[in-house]
Amino acid sequence: MQRFLNLKLNIISSWRLLPLAVLIIFTAPLVIVLSSLLGSYSDNWLHLYEFVLLDYVNSSLILVIGVAILVLIIGTVTAWTITNYNFIGKNIFEWALILPLSIPPYILAYTFTGLFDPYGDANNLIRYLFDLSNDYVFFPNVRSMYGAIIVFSFTLYPYVYLVSRSALINQSKSMKEASRLLGLNQVQVFYKLALPMIRPAVIAGVMLVIMETLSDFGAVDHFAIETFTTGIFRTWYGLYDLQTAMQLASLLLIIIGVFYLIEKNTRGGSIYTSNNSNFSPNLEEDLQGFKALVAFLICFIPIFIGFIIPIVELSFWAYEVNLGFFNDKFVSNAINTLSLSLGTGIICAGLALLINFSIRFKPNKLVEKLSSLLSLGYAVPGLILAVGMVQLMVYLDTFLFSGLDIVLTGSIFGLMIAYVIKTYALANSSIESGYQRISNSMDESSRLLGISGWRMLINIHSPLMKTALLTSVLLVMSDVVKELPATLILRPFNFETLAVSTYTYASEERMLQAAAPAIAIVIIGLIPIIFLSKMIRSSRPN
Amino acid sequence: MKKIQLILLFSFFINLVIANEVNVYTSRHYDSDDALYEEFTDETGIEVNIISGKGSALLQRLKAEGKNSPADIFFTVDAGNLWKVQKEGLFQSIQSKKVLTEVPENLRGPNDEWTAIAKRARVIFYNPENVSDELVENFNYEDLADQKWNKRIVIRSSNNMYNQSLVASLIENIGEEATEKWAKKLVGNFARKPQGNDRSQIIAVANGEADLAVANSYYIGIMLSGSAGQEQLEAAKKVKMIFPNQENRGAHINISGAGILKNAPNKDNANSFIEFLISKRVQKYMIDKSYEYSVLNDVPPSIEIAGFGTNFKEDQTSVRSFGELNPDAVKLMDRSGWK
Repeated sequence: MQRFLNLKLNIISSWRLLPLAVLIIFTAPLVIVLSSLLGSYSDNWLHLYEFVLLDYVNSSLILVIGVAILVLIIGTVTAWTITNYNFIGKNIFEWALILPLSIPPYILAYTFTGLFDPYGDANNLIRYLFDLSNDYVFFPNVRSMYGAIIVFSFTLYPYVYLVSRSALINQSKSMKEASRLLGLNQVQVFYKLALPMIRPAVIAGVMLVIMETLSDFGAVDHFAIETFTTGIFRTWYGLYDLQTAMQLASLLLIIIGVFYLIEKNTRGGSIYTSNNSNFSPNLEEDLQGFKALVAFLICFIPIFIGFIIPIVELSFWAYEVNLGFFNDKFVSNAINTLSLSLGTGIICAGLALLINFSIRFKPNKLVEKLSSLLSLGYAVPGLILAVGMVQLMVYLDTFLFSGLDIVLTGSIFGLMIAYVIKTYALANSSIESGYQRISNSMDESSRLLGISGWRMLINIHSPLMKTALLTSVLLVMSDVVKELPATLILRPFNFETLAVSTYTYASEERMLQAAAPAIAIVIIGLIPIIFLSKMIRSSRPN
Repeated sequence: MKKIQLILLFSFFINLVIANEVNVYTSRHYDSDDALYEEFTDETGIEVNIISGKGSALLQRLKAEGKNSPADIFFTVDAGNLWKVQKEGLFQSIQSKKVLTEVPENLRGPNDEWTAIAKRARVIFYNPENVSDELVENFNYEDLADQKWNKRIVIRSSNNMYNQSLVASLIENIGEEATEKWAKKLVGNFARKPQGNDRSQIIAVANGEADLAVANSYYIGIMLSGSAGQEQLEAAKKVKMIFPNQENRGAHINISGAGILKNAPNKDNANSFIEFLISKRVQKYMIDKSYEYSVLNDVPPSIEIAGFGTNFKEDQTSVRSFGELNPDAVKLMDRSGWK
């Protein structure tokens, strides 16, 4: 008996059981999606293979590569400019560069077509100003691969900007001075020294962008580009073949999984940190004249395309019709949206903290792998995830209530789990990098003082990780505010979020009416983003 | 703690006893419908609970929930989805005398397992400034493949369910081989890569970017009403609408429809709800807002679209074939290069 008790205690204190149990619940819907691979394969595969699959793969690849390159450039160059130079507007740009994160890609896509279509507002304006005939079209077609790459890049680059900025802030001045003395010019310092040093952080940011791009349906569908994800839905809705659709989604998941592992392994051996005791903060160089203008434009253009254009266009639309939305439904929908996103943010951050702590405390391969799997949830199209989720909820209901009633299915609880799966990657990335900044010697000293387990997590790590925790809550929040497909299918009766209201109009192709709720999404999405930007400013050492 | 539990338990039972409600899973989510639901509640005291979403996804939730599903009614804008729900055996026959006597038989499903609530036609738009009326006289869908429209036709992507239904109806009527030939020629006649929604096609024709557009009938009503902005109103004024195949099988029709689910916990309320939807007054209100056509013969369409003709011939191809042939239609469009 005594031995048994000891054994039991041992397991509980081992930091394995809890993270493992939690992870198993959260990864279950993904496993349900993946299990479709074990099922039968329909004839539709032959058809897909023969006629469309290659197109899907091709356009997804081009899209992802284009977006990855563009966000890499925008994200790092803006971060570098903000960190090293002083110029007009810099204090505003520093936080304003995150604003596009509040614009869902599909909304930018809608406003882009509203503006730049042959008879869109921008073309009409130019024809009107220069008194040109109706045939004259000034802007190139945005319903194209280029348009899609721009839309994703200018709404998602803040992920790269955020990580680059916080990595660059921590770089020491002395290193830069040394390299200048050795004869490198400004640009060389950037790509020969600064960029390689922040590479791990940047790649993690780009990875998030890639996953979000691949899982998107709304924007690519609006631009009529056949990506892997539109293929998944065409197979489900058009061929009535959910099984094959889930198999396609699993395939996507596996491909991304491989990339994810490669990224993790290359990152493993390359963590560069400067020794804090010698740290001397970066001195910002004052820019004047032409150089200041260039710096200004570098920061202004991304904000202009990713935030100002859509906001102005949406405001015009909303002003034209449906301003009433702000009286009738706005408050209740906004409260639903906010509480749901806050709840998910807290759960996600707590989960990521628990799991990263347990991996650090007692390395466990299984927990690590499940955590990676959960991160991949970010790349799964929301509606496919929802199908796995409904399945899981029904299993749980059958198990808990012996099939007499359904309680969890269609509850806020199920909806939140789905959101956690969808956004865990965002929380995990910032908690992980937060942990990299806590040295192991800190753990050892606290152990010597007899502090371990929960007490170490609560008393030592949590305070040190305050910024990382907040960042992860806020990143998750800003994403959940925008999330749609899972909400639609998993929600309880009469439960509306802002994204649902937008969809209600957008799916009827009534973009003017959709503008008011879309602006509401942006307003609510700004709340976490404003907090985020405040944190960046205060994270600067000294 | 105990107290809270007791209160929770109590309120749960209260809910159980007095819940007077009808639960609707719907892929039709028009603003104007919300007002109707409120009116139904005012009239009958029955609360209307809504979950709206994609038809295919709602069906999946319905299937997973099984016999415990709280849903009473499945309401959708896509006939194919009605067929799918019926095929899964999830509907029960509608018993309501009112529905059975007032909705024409061809607008009800097999065994009366669902009924149409409103209908819309997939029609052709042209701009008389660019296309003479004679050119499109007695126009058939089949004529869209004609060489004379080379690079002059706009239509949205084949992902769209209305296009899928249209192609399915052609497969049913002229056979798969002929339809595939037709689709290939039609793709050759595209003025641009399929893009945008039905309204963008109408706008393209209004502006002379193309000669013919294929789109659903109600969109022109929305545009003409002005609720979609001044520009769309201007564009809509420039175009004319024609019902194809009037000399033969009739214009292609799609429906919004609803059925009562087999495990409906509030069957009687569900019945009242459907009866409410097909009542004359509600039908008139509904189609005046949505610019669809009523399922009742004596309810005239809204002023905006009545001008295009109120008495046109409808294709009687059954909704069952749209459902059954939909996958074939999608594959056919893939093979034809219809993006």
